[in-house]
Amino acid sequence: MRDEQSFAQDCAEILREDLVAGRIDRRTFMKGLLALGLLPAALGGSGAFARAAMAQTAKPKEVVLANFGGDAVPAFTDAFAKPFEAKEGVKLVIDGSGPSTGKIKAMVDAKKVIWDVIDSGTGQAHQLGQAGYLEPIDYTIVDKTKLDPQFAYKWGVINYYFSTVLAWDSTKIQGTPTWADFFDTKKIPGKRMLRRTGLAMLEPALLADGVAADKLYPIDQKRALAKIASIKADSLYWNSGAESQQLMRTGECVMGIMWHTRANILTRDTDGRIKFTFNQAIVQPGIWIVPKNSPAGSTWAHRAIRAMQEPEGQVLLLERMGNGPANPAAAALVKPQFNAANPSAPENLAKQVKFGGEWWMENQEQLTQAFLDMISS
Amino acid sequence: MADESRIAAARSTRSLGWAIVLFLVLPITIVVPVSLTDQRFLSLPQDGLSLRHYVNLVQSAAWLSSVGQSFVIASGATVISVLSGTLCAVGCWRLGSRWSELVRVLMLVPIIVPTIVYALGLYRLWVQLGLLDTYFGVMLAHGVTGIPYVVIIVSTSLANFDPRLEQAARNLGASVPYTLRRVILPSILPGVVSGSIFAFIHSWDELVLVLFIASRAIFTLPRRIWDGINEHLDPTMAAVATALVAVTAILLVLDMRTRRQRSE
Amino acid sequence: MTAVAATGAHSGRRFFFANERTAYWLMVAPAAVLMAAFYFYPLVEVLWISVTEPKPGLDNYALLFTSASIRRTIVTTLRICTITTAVTIVLGYVVAYVLVHASPRAQRWLFLGVLVPLWISVLVRAFAWVTLLAREGLINTTLRDAGIIEQPLALIWNEFGIVIGMVHYMIPYAVLPLYASMRDIDARTVSAARGLGGSRFYTFRRVFLPQSLPGIIGATVLVFIFSLGFFVTPAILGGGKTLMIAEYISLQILDLLRWGLGTMLASTLVIFIFVLLAALAKVVDLKRLFGAG
Repeated sequence: MRDEQSFAQDCAEILREDLVAGRIDRRTFMKGLLALGLLPAALGGSGAFARAAMAQTAKPKEVVLANFGGDAVPAFTDAFAKPFEAKEGVKLVIDGSGPSTGKIKAMVDAKKVIWDVIDSGTGQAHQLGQAGYLEPIDYTIVDKTKLDPQFAYKWGVINYYFSTVLAWDSTKIQGTPTWADFFDTKKIPGKRMLRRTGLAMLEPALLADGVAADKLYPIDQKRALAKIASIKADSLYWNSGAESQQLMRTGECVMGIMWHTRANILTRDTDGRIKFTFNQAIVQPGIWIVPKNSPAGSTWAHRAIRAMQEPEGQVLLLERMGNGPANPAAAALVKPQFNAANPSAPENLAKQVKFGGEWWMENQEQLTQAFLDMISS
Repeated sequence: MADESRIAAARSTRSLGWAIVLFLVLPITIVVPVSLTDQRFLSLPQDGLSLRHYVNLVQSAAWLSSVGQSFVIASGATVISVLSGTLCAVGCWRLGSRWSELVRVLMLVPIIVPTIVYALGLYRLWVQLGLLDTYFGVMLAHGVTGIPYVVIIVSTSLANFDPRLEQAARNLGASVPYTLRRVILPSILPGVVSGSIFAFIHSWDELVLVLFIASRAIFTLPRRIWDGINEHLDPTMAAVATALVAVTAILLVLDMRTRRQRSE
Repeated sequence: MTAVAATGAHSGRRFFFANERTAYWLMVAPAAVLMAAFYFYPLVEVLWISVTEPKPGLDNYALLFTSASIRRTIVTTLRICTITTAVTIVLGYVVAYVLVHASPRAQRWLFLGVLVPLWISVLVRAFAWVTLLAREGLINTTLRDAGIIEQPLALIWNEFGIVIGMVHYMIPYAVLPLYASMRDIDARTVSAARGLGGSRFYTFRRVFLPQSLPGIIGATVLVFIFSLGFFVTPAILGGGKTLMIAEYISLQILDLLRWGLGTMLASTLVIFIFVLLAALAKVVDLKRLFGAG
């Protein structure tokens, strides 16, 4: 009941905003209120127009969403910005200038925050949140029923899924290799490829070492790093997703741990020479965070997040970039041809290992340094 | 006999010099074919050559505006660096006191300190001055960090300039600005030109500061390339590089032509 | 300078002289003011963090002696930068030497070759090197097809590849100052030495080389300092296994939020270079390096 009410009020608000913005006339406005059963409420008090005017002034000029640029800017614009603008009458702008942790800290410190919502990750969310740079996620606005509650954290909330998968060169390896094969350079010779920051690289190492998928966390860091160190002489470490593609495409590596989005494009570009599997892949959440003192204000930042929970935009993002929808309701809307590479498709989710965000929140900072120290020594 | 070995030695030095220059242009031999690739990522052509990345370059408002922005910013920054840097180098050279020595040693600091550290400080200052995400803000930041290159390179060419020449001019009653323009400047001109080239390239290729102090308005070429690299190794950046190399080559060839005509 | 002052006993000239010094200080002023206001002021504010975060004191500096990770990064950085500088200076010297002695026409082409790489962004160059040097890269496949090698040569994903990439980047920065200083070497001194019967090599060693020394020292200092700041090239060409100081600092600032540690390392770099220069000043006349006649 409460939800219905707030949804109706929300509609009324949109109507009011449309009225003030001159998009509808007064009669249409009254008709709309009548239809929503809200006319008495709107006519009471200080009057609908005063309140409408207030809602208008509280409305920000725009809400700014920061991500890391590239194709994600036009894709986010189509998937999220356009529907939000249509619904709320507020522009959602995508700024692709790269919200590094250090830059967010510098911004909040200088009281010159230019972003409202930031495309982030579990580790960064926790690190910045604990240091006092973020607004906690407001779950009265963000709808917990439209996501896997396991990925609804205090300082951040899931925006989409991505997966850390095993990719291989099918001209050099027959069949589907496993994590154990990845770490066995005697069985399958040739160079391996891992991500240089170490994020989600420990899980494959432990799985290869015989740890059961449901016993991964808390991670035995020493054991995992030792396993990774054991193939160091045969490993290369990529910095960017594009670099990981290049290493596989040019035949430099026979197997690699990479993001499913990159692996999927690679399969297409190489006509199936490079293959990948969701078997025991690590499925991870991308995270929205809201910085302190955001220009549009915390409420509007959260309203943008809520708007982006709608399945349609998430499905569009999957079609454009391969990011898996976070809203379980989206599964029904996904066209069949996109399901094979969708990490959040139910059949793919079942094959994968769920990323232990809590462990990484506590450990990512020290692990990043420890991992780099290990590979560079 | 001695002559022959002498000539052989001279010849081998010369071949070595040319070999090193070939090493310098080696990546170009990759960049040019890559710019003609038929693939959508940085790679050598596979099934044939394609001009689509050049078409993308000249048709894409984003790439063109980045080239334009970088050109404006780098030109402005070069003016700041070269004017103040050259004056500073000459002034220090003539003063020769402890203080001017200190000025020159301090000039090394921007090259020593990793840019990211300066970027933090710059960010805070630019917030106060309202210069974030503006042309002038980036230009000033690049111009200031380019000064040391000019000072160092111009100083090196001053090292071999005979100060007595300058003193002679002064003794003959020439004013300081006149001496600077007519006596000192012509003789250190190659240094000033080298300094300008480096100051320009410093701004043209600078990414770390831009990523920190720019957001939506300023999108320089390195930022565009960075964007393309992270995305899918966009071959447009190879087309940009090839075009720039071609422009440089054409300018030098034209210059050669005019010189030859003049000498004929 | 003092000699000039002594001869300028005439009071009119003394006045003139003071005026002249003011003029020279005025020439220094724009750069000094710009740098002080827009470089040193914000920089010092940030470097100050090294003694205030996470808590006031010299704890960050103590890490220099206790952290194995920092020590390893420093050693790696010094090793790679030293090799890069030595190779760059030798190769740059040869190019500058050939440039100075080339015909104007050849000079143009050589200059084109030196300047052209400057237009190619560091990132694009790194990928060009990967295409050339990788196990399945152009050089290895060509050599293999020609039957010269059976196994690919390890040209990349190691310090060899890093040095190639860095030397390539640095050569133009060495050639131009070297060329500028060689250009001013009086050709008559060289031909005089030759005329007196000195061999080519002897003349080079005793006449040309000493005169080009300021250029060499200047270029060495510049290239060494410059190479300390590399990180894209080593990170890519080293196959991710090489961590140099500039990247280490960047990591602390951008990702790990250990600003105290990052700024401590930056301050240490500055102090280290200044100590190095001071030591160098005992051996060679640094004034020559900076052009104080």
